[in-house]
Amino acid sequence: MDEITSVFVTESREQIAALESALLQLENSPRDDDTLNAIFRSAHTIKGGAGVIECGYIVAFTHVVENLLDRLREHAINADADLIALLLGCADHIGNLLGVLESGAAGPDANLAADGDALLARLQRDWLSDEGSRAGLPSVAPVQLEASGGGAVESDCWHISVRFGADVLRNGMDPLSFLRYLGSIGHIVHLETLADAMPEAAEMDPETCYLGFEISFASGADKAAIERVFDFVRDECTLNILPPHSRLSDYIALINTLPEDSMRLGEILVRIGALTQGELEDGLRQQTAVPADEVESATAPAAAPQPIGEILVERKVVQSELVDAAIARQKQVTEKKAAEARLIRIQADKLDRLIDLVGELVIAGASVNLLAGRTGVGELIEATSLTGRLVESIRDAALQLRMVQIGETFNRFHRVVRDTSREMGKEIELSVSGGDTELDKSMVEKIGDPLMHLVRNAMDHGLELPAVREASGKPARGRLELNAFHDSGSIVIEVADDGAGLNRERILAKAVERGLVQPGQSLSDAEVYNLIFEPGFSTAEKVTNISGRGVGMDVVRRNIQGLRGSVDVSSEPGKGSRFAIRLPLTLAIIDGFLVGVGNAAYVIPLDSVVECIELGVDGSVRDYVNLRGEVLPLVRLRQLFGMAGEPPGRQNVVVVQYAGNKSGIVVDQLMGEFQTVIKPLGNLFRNIRGIGGSTILGSGEVALILDVQALVQRCASREAQRAEGADAGRALLAAAAT
Amino acid sequence: MKTIFLVDDSATILLSISGVLTKAGYAVEKAPSALDALKKFQTGVKVDLLITDLNMPGMNGIDFIKEVRKLPAYRFLPILFLTTESQQSKKAEAKAAGASGWIVKPASAEELLNTIKLVIR
Repeated sequence: MDEITSVFVTESREQIAALESALLQLENSPRDDDTLNAIFRSAHTIKGGAGVIECGYIVAFTHVVENLLDRLREHAINADADLIALLLGCADHIGNLLGVLESGAAGPDANLAADGDALLARLQRDWLSDEGSRAGLPSVAPVQLEASGGGAVESDCWHISVRFGADVLRNGMDPLSFLRYLGSIGHIVHLETLADAMPEAAEMDPETCYLGFEISFASGADKAAIERVFDFVRDECTLNILPPHSRLSDYIALINTLPEDSMRLGEILVRIGALTQGELEDGLRQQTAVPADEVESATAPAAAPQPIGEILVERKVVQSELVDAAIARQKQVTEKKAAEARLIRIQADKLDRLIDLVGELVIAGASVNLLAGRTGVGELIEATSLTGRLVESIRDAALQLRMVQIGETFNRFHRVVRDTSREMGKEIELSVSGGDTELDKSMVEKIGDPLMHLVRNAMDHGLELPAVREASGKPARGRLELNAFHDSGSIVIEVADDGAGLNRERILAKAVERGLVQPGQSLSDAEVYNLIFEPGFSTAEKVTNISGRGVGMDVVRRNIQGLRGSVDVSSEPGKGSRFAIRLPLTLAIIDGFLVGVGNAAYVIPLDSVVECIELGVDGSVRDYVNLRGEVLPLVRLRQLFGMAGEPPGRQNVVVVQYAGNKSGIVVDQLMGEFQTVIKPLGNLFRNIRGIGGSTILGSGEVALILDVQALVQRCASREAQRAEGADAGRALLAAAAT
Repeated sequence: MKTIFLVDDSATILLSISGVLTKAGYAVEKAPSALDALKKFQTGVKVDLLITDLNMPGMNGIDFIKEVRKLPAYRFLPILFLTTESQQSKKAEAKAAGASGWIVKPASAEELLNTIKLVIR
């Protein structure tokens, strides 16, 4: 996909999101002009962009949608629920078409095309059926003279007569540029400048244009092409174009129409070769001989330009009112939307590069600090520590650049909640707060799915049907809240409902049934509630298409843990539940735990570290140890990474945990925790299992960051292999205990 | 070299038009919104032609043209606006605001450059 197409796709997806949220707003205020304009603008921008990249199928579809939106904007039709639903369907379809464009296919497949046609058919039939009568917007009739009697003149040149409007210069136009452009589509045979309108020097305004031209023009271009040259000034200038061999009467009519003295004009026409002297005299004589009413009819088309001045004035009056009203309105809008517009779009790669460089700077700064400390020169240490502080500020500011507001993600749920609640026959009101809370862009992208799961879950299992709610004394309309806020270095996203709450007994019963807890085990409420995140746990009595498809809350928890976050639930029977997702602010910097194996240093993400223990004698021969009665499988880094050299006499085990599974990582040295910037591995090394990234230590050494998830899973699968065929778990435990 | 200042909220349009203009030997300045552009105009950038979209969020093109015309340095600046066939009524409004002319979207590179030649050398 070329750059412009990918820009188009990204931009259009944003426009669709904006379109959707505006359509939803429209449900509450169907005649709000701002909303209607925003909707129209989104569709218009998509169509415009599609036109630029020549994507015909998007243009064709969006065009019809835009027509409808235009009518909506003019209040020719009203937005009712049906229409909004239809337009939402159209927005989805445009999204699908973008998918087609992204996939590089030549066009939508038969199914998608049929969907599009069905939508268009509905639009046409239900909303645009009287479109035909509206076709052909009123346009300004071009000022032109038609041949209408009398003999033809001999000249085979076009005759162009133009009087520029007074404001031409003030509108940024140079009359000369028109003449120059005219010269590019033909040959200006003769040109006469008329400065008759020029006042006395004292009254002359240098910013006003007083000029007119009579031009004899030889060209193969047609009349439309010549008119087009003057398109920009046509409304404010007097333009007459006579084709070659026009009738003499047309010239006479022209002379009569123009403000200058007839005799003088006649002479000019003769001089530029439009007319011969004989033709001119002939024409003038004819005119005086013909009865007045016939002159009238002969010059009728020519008379048309006469009222133009009046029309102009009229039109200008109308416009100025229009414009004033528009200004007042736009001022409000401008103030409201100013914040929205103060954005620049940059490629994420550039940001990543910047953050990468800042990471380098942090590392280089650390080594400078180290060296300065060694010199013992007070001034140098002071200077470097100041630099260090600045570097930290730069790092924070750079990371801030990647931060985006979560509001956009939240807004997607308005649509989901609306559609789903209808489907389920529930009344649900979504309230969103903290949409301006910022978090790392990559995190925003990945949090969407878990959040969607929680929202659907709350709607399906949490909130009750209206009748049930009323019976228990609650308002029929359920309330779903999405909230985000910052809390001590992390961001918390909450999904809360005022539904039935979690059923402690049912969860416990299910957990016992699944063997997750022992019968009779005493657990706190929080412990019971958090059981719903265990793998394979689902209490939904029937599988609906909204949630409860077996991929349960354990997937949600795993996804969130993948972002180095956590999820918790609190609940009160009859009052509702609250899920709180806690995420680190950024993925680019982690708190790490530094360990050493041989000469190499490795970093283990601190939040996966449970404890550190010394490797006992039993661990030096087996691949597992007994950790307080539990089997702890070991990963020997020295072995795993094939490192040369003998292990030291005393080895340590870092106990790590991932998704409930624990493993012990055997290392030589424990070197303590520190904050580090994660640097991705190059393409060559990306597939190495067990390594998630790298970082550079203050000393300049490279340390690899361990991928705990991969290591733990490696252990788990190794264990599963061993367990094959025998009740190996018990055997292992027995072996470990000996 | 002539400098053309482009204002459009659509990144696609900005990219495509600036591509054509750069190839044709013009220097191109871009802004994604009228307010951004106006800020630059207020600092007195060198511009030979302004091309702006009309329908933009925040300040719209018509108000933007009026604001630019109020700045003494740009009283005679050629200003073209981007429009579509369906927006005939906007033309008069934009002209009244001080625009010089318009470009109908989608325009071919040739149409675009021809229209530009109409207003600047």
